[in-house]
Parts: sequence; C-alpha cells; structure tokens
Amino acid sequence: MGPGLTGYIIRRLLWAAPVLFVISVLVFGMLRMAPGDPVDRILGTHYEESAARQLRQKYGYDRPLYVQYVKYIQNLAHGDLGVSTLHTDFTATDVILPKVWISSQIGFLALVLTFGLGIPVGIYAALARGTFIDPLVISWWLALDAIPVFVLTTLTSWLFALKLGLVGLSWDGVYSTHIILPVLVLALPGVAGVARFMRASVISVLGEDYIRTARAKGLKESTVVFRHIARNAMLPMITVIGLSLPGIAGGALFVEQGFGIPGIANESLQAALAPDYDVILALVLFGSVLFVLANVVIDVLYAFIDPRVRLGARRG
Amino acid sequence: MAIAEVAYVPEIVLPARRRFRVLRQIVRKKIAMLAICYLLIFYSAGLLAPVIAPHDPNEQHVTLADRRQAPSSEHWLGTDTLGRDLFSRVLYSARTTVLFTVVVLVTGGLFLGLGLGLLAGYRGGWIDTAVMRTGEVLSGLPTLVLMLAITAAFRSRITDMSFWLQDHTFLGQDAGTFLKFLIVAGATVPFAWVGSARIVRSQALAIREDTYVEAAEAMGASGWRVITRHIFPGVMPLWMVGLSGSMAGIAGAEVALSYLGLGIDPPGSSFGSLIEAAQGTVNLEHYPHLLIASAGPVILFFFAWNLLGDALVDLLESRTTQAR
Repeated sequence: MGPGLTGYIIRRLLWAAPVLFVISVLVFGMLRMAPGDPVDRILGTHYEESAARQLRQKYGYDRPLYVQYVKYIQNLAHGDLGVSTLHTDFTATDVILPKVWISSQIGFLALVLTFGLGIPVGIYAALARGTFIDPLVISWWLALDAIPVFVLTTLTSWLFALKLGLVGLSWDGVYSTHIILPVLVLALPGVAGVARFMRASVISVLGEDYIRTARAKGLKESTVVFRHIARNAMLPMITVIGLSLPGIAGGALFVEQGFGIPGIANESLQAALAPDYDVILALVLFGSVLFVLANVVIDVLYAFIDPRVRLGARRG
Repeated sequence: MAIAEVAYVPEIVLPARRRFRVLRQIVRKKIAMLAICYLLIFYSAGLLAPVIAPHDPNEQHVTLADRRQAPSSEHWLGTDTLGRDLFSRVLYSARTTVLFTVVVLVTGGLFLGLGLGLLAGYRGGWIDTAVMRTGEVLSGLPTLVLMLAITAAFRSRITDMSFWLQDHTFLGQDAGTFLKFLIVAGATVPFAWVGSARIVRSQALAIREDTYVEAAEAMGASGWRVITRHIFPGVMPLWMVGLSGSMAGIAGAEVALSYLGLGIDPPGSSFGSLIEAAQGTVNLEHYPHLLIASAGPVILFFFAWNLLGDALVDLLESRTTQAR
C-alpha cells in the first residue's frame, strides 16, 4: 500500500464527513418537522397535557430545533446515538445492533447465493448468445424477479412448510433449517440482475483481441472461458458486489415480516411508524456510513486488482 | 424496492440519425413485442377503468353467499372478502398503478432525471457537482426506512385536509385517496430520479464535445436550444432504456407501501392492498382465486417492463458489438 493509496483513503473518508452531516440535518429536520411526535405514541390517544409536557421535557422535544440538533451531534461525538422511545430504557445502539447482526447473517447467505447463481447464469447466457437459450434463461430469472417478495413469502411458506411439511417456519435462530426458505426468497429474485450484468460484461469481453488470440493459440475452450473471459468479465462485477454489501445490513422487510424474523427491517418499520426519532436517525446514519465505506473499499480493491486505475483521477 | 439502483446501461453514444432504428428493431423482437402488447392493454385498462368496470369497485355485499365468490359470468374474477367485484377492483388498481407510474415518470424521470441530468452534463461546473453529489447522497440512504418514515409521518395527519378537499374541490369521496397518492409519490420521487440523471449526464457530457454542438454554439444558439435540439436527441434512447428498466421498481414501490397499509388503502384500490387481503392460509386453501386475480396482473406488469428493459439494453448492445 503506497502513500498515494493511504492519502486517497483519508481523502475519501474526509469527504464522507460533510455528506453525513447533510444527511443528518435533512433527516433530523424532516423527522421533527413532520406532524406527530413520539409522545403521542407513548401516551396513546387520551392523555393529560401535563404528562405530555413532562415527557417532551424529558426527551428534550420542547427545546428549539437547533438546540436539539446540537445536543444530538454532541452526543453523537461521544458515540451516543440517543435513546429509543419505542423500547423504553434501551439506547438506539442497543436496539439496532443485535438485529443488524441477525439480518446481516441472513443477508450474507442470500448474497452468496445470488452471486453464486447469477454469475454462472450470466456467463452461460452470454456464451449462448444468438440461440433461444439466452433469452429463455434470462426471461426465467426476470419472471422470478417480477413476483413481489410478499407474494413469494406467502406462496413458498404455504407450499413448502404447510402443505409439504419440508421445513419449519417459526424463527429458530440463524443456525437452523428454518432459514432455508427466507434465504432462498431473499436470494433468488436478485439473480436476474446479477446475471444480466454479468452477461453484458462477458459480451463486452468476448469482442476483445486477447480472446481471439487465446482461441487462435489453440487453448481449450474451458481455459478460454474460465481464465480469459470469466476473470476479465468479473472486474466490473466488483462494484456490484461491493454496493450490495451495505444493503444486507438493512435487512429485507417483506422477508422478515413473512417469516417472522426479528431483524432490523422489521425494527425499521416499527421505528418509522412510532416514530422513534433516534432509532430512525441511527438507522439512516448507519446505512449511509456503510455505503460510504463500501465505496471506498471498492475503489481500493480496484487499485489492487488493476494497477492502471489511478485513484486520484477516479470520480466517486 | 430498489428504485435508487441504477439499471445497467451500456456507456455508449448513439449517433442521432440512427435513433429510429431502435423502433424498427424492437418490432422484430417477439418477446419485447409481447411485453409491449401487455403493457398497452394494462395501461388502457387502467385509464379506462371507470368506463369498462362492470361494477362499482366499492359496492359491498356482505352476506355469506356474496363474499369470496368464485369467478362467474356476473363477477369475472369472483368477489373479495367484502363481496366487492374483484374484476372491477383489479381494474381500478391498475388505474392506481398507471397514474402512479405516469406521475413519477413525469416528475422524477422527465423533470428531475432528464432535466437535471442534461443541465449537469451540459453546464458542468458547480451545477454538475451539486446535482451529482445530491444524487450520491440520496442513493446512499437506506431508501426503505426513509420512505416508511415519510409516509407514516404524513399519513397520520391528513384527515382534516381530506375533509376540506372533499368539501371544496371536485374530488369528493376520492379526496383521501388523492392525498395518500400524493404522499406515496412524494416519498418515491426523491429517490427515483438519480438513476436517469446519471445516465443522461454521462451521455450529455460526451455529446457536448461533438462538433455539431460546437457549431451550433458558434452560430450563437442559446443554451436552451443547444440542449433541446442537439443534445436531447442523442440522450433520448439511453434515457428511455434506463427508464424502462426502472419502471417495475417504481410501480413496485407503491404496491409495497400499499401492502404495508401505508399507501393507497380501501376504499381506494391498489394491488398492494388487494394482495394483502387475499393472503392467509384460509384464503390460499379455499379461495386461491383471490390471490391469483390480484397478484397475477401486477406480476405480469412487472415482468413485461423487465422484459422490455432487457430487450432495449440488448438492442443497444448488439449495435456496439457490431460496430467493433
């Protein structure tokens, strides 16, 4: 790792600070400006005005907006993301982290499956270009992608769990056979996108001179496909893989709802409905930080893999 | 709900004179033609819903015999749990989807996506930086959390406004649905323009350097004229490809929010709420037509847009490889 790379990483991370600042101001402002506040949720429909006043005072909602924001940033600087009003006595961090962990594990399994299927399917479709197999394969995965996830969860859990009794449904931790269906439902709709990207990438590589050279040398077709085509076509794939990584920490709402997984997306829905100010903000900031990090990691990876990439010149 | 994702679009510049070839080639693709036919049917059914719906979609018949009827000549797709004619409700749901995609297309795709993309690509400088950085920030946000937060926050306080609209405008009974529609659109549009703006910008950047643009500028053409007459025609094909690839995601956002009860809910019709009502073990076992009738049309709608988007990308690509 040369000095240029370290400098680049530092520059990118510094650039992230103002972006995160803008995001926090926007979301903070939007949440507080929107009608309704957590106190309504805590107290229900009928309550004494004095009780509401007391609670607003406790959480500081009675103070001017900028005072609240400055206070929030001060706490944030100390690593304090605030408290949850939905789960009283829990900090936002305590609410989020265990659920992010659950969602991430399931999401990671699904991601491996999506790319593990999508990449070979894409290569296959590209090599079968011009025959009926190519559109058939791609259309099949596109059809799967068209089914809304909440329909997929209902149908699969009804068919495989209730009718055929192949798998259990209730949440039983990540390490059990019960997560087979959620992982499949999460992974399979994404295959179409990966396959299409990979297909396009392979097709652009197919036209390169070195492929013709490799074939002209009399190399075995399998060697050409795996060594020359697939490896080079994988390069742009790094961005796709990298950018889908932060997404898995956000969970998948309909999968978590459909299969009763106590993950972060379910928590997001609850937080958004409550509204649970600090938890929503923590979720948004957490997601944004992961996104920024993923981008930096992608750029650094490219610099390692492809020495022609000049990091200073790359646009974000 | 991946509306902020960028659909894959090859980075090429099309000569303007070739752009009608896309139309001619698409006619030759059978799958794409099937998709276009289905979309035409879907869109006309949605627009003409009030004319062709055989029943009032909100007319309830709650006696046991009238509820969850199987398809018959009277009720083509049967009736739902409240005895409402399902075919009419599906038509009105299609209407919601059609209006929603058109509204988001015009505001997010056309106005923000194309407009900001052209501006950023042609003008460059600080405008470019501002637009692209904003897009970057928006695409980095966890879209779902924010859409949920926005819709949940605004929905809770629309009752007074919908009463006012009901009394003072032509909307009448539809005032509540109209407001909910606005909220869902308002939550979708901020995330829906980024993809098309990026595509348009990169195209506009390339075309800006062409000699004919330079010539137009040298002759004293205004910025508006250069953008609309010289840059837009070159940008249009890829912009349309990008849009067609993201349409399923945009329509899906409304369906998903409605499914959660945060979008269009009864008495308004949406595929999301239809599907939600059709689920459950009892319905699946004994009344499967409820789910088939409400999910089928919208699944085909997503599928058709997916296929069309794929076919368009393929057309652009095959021409680049041929050009090599």
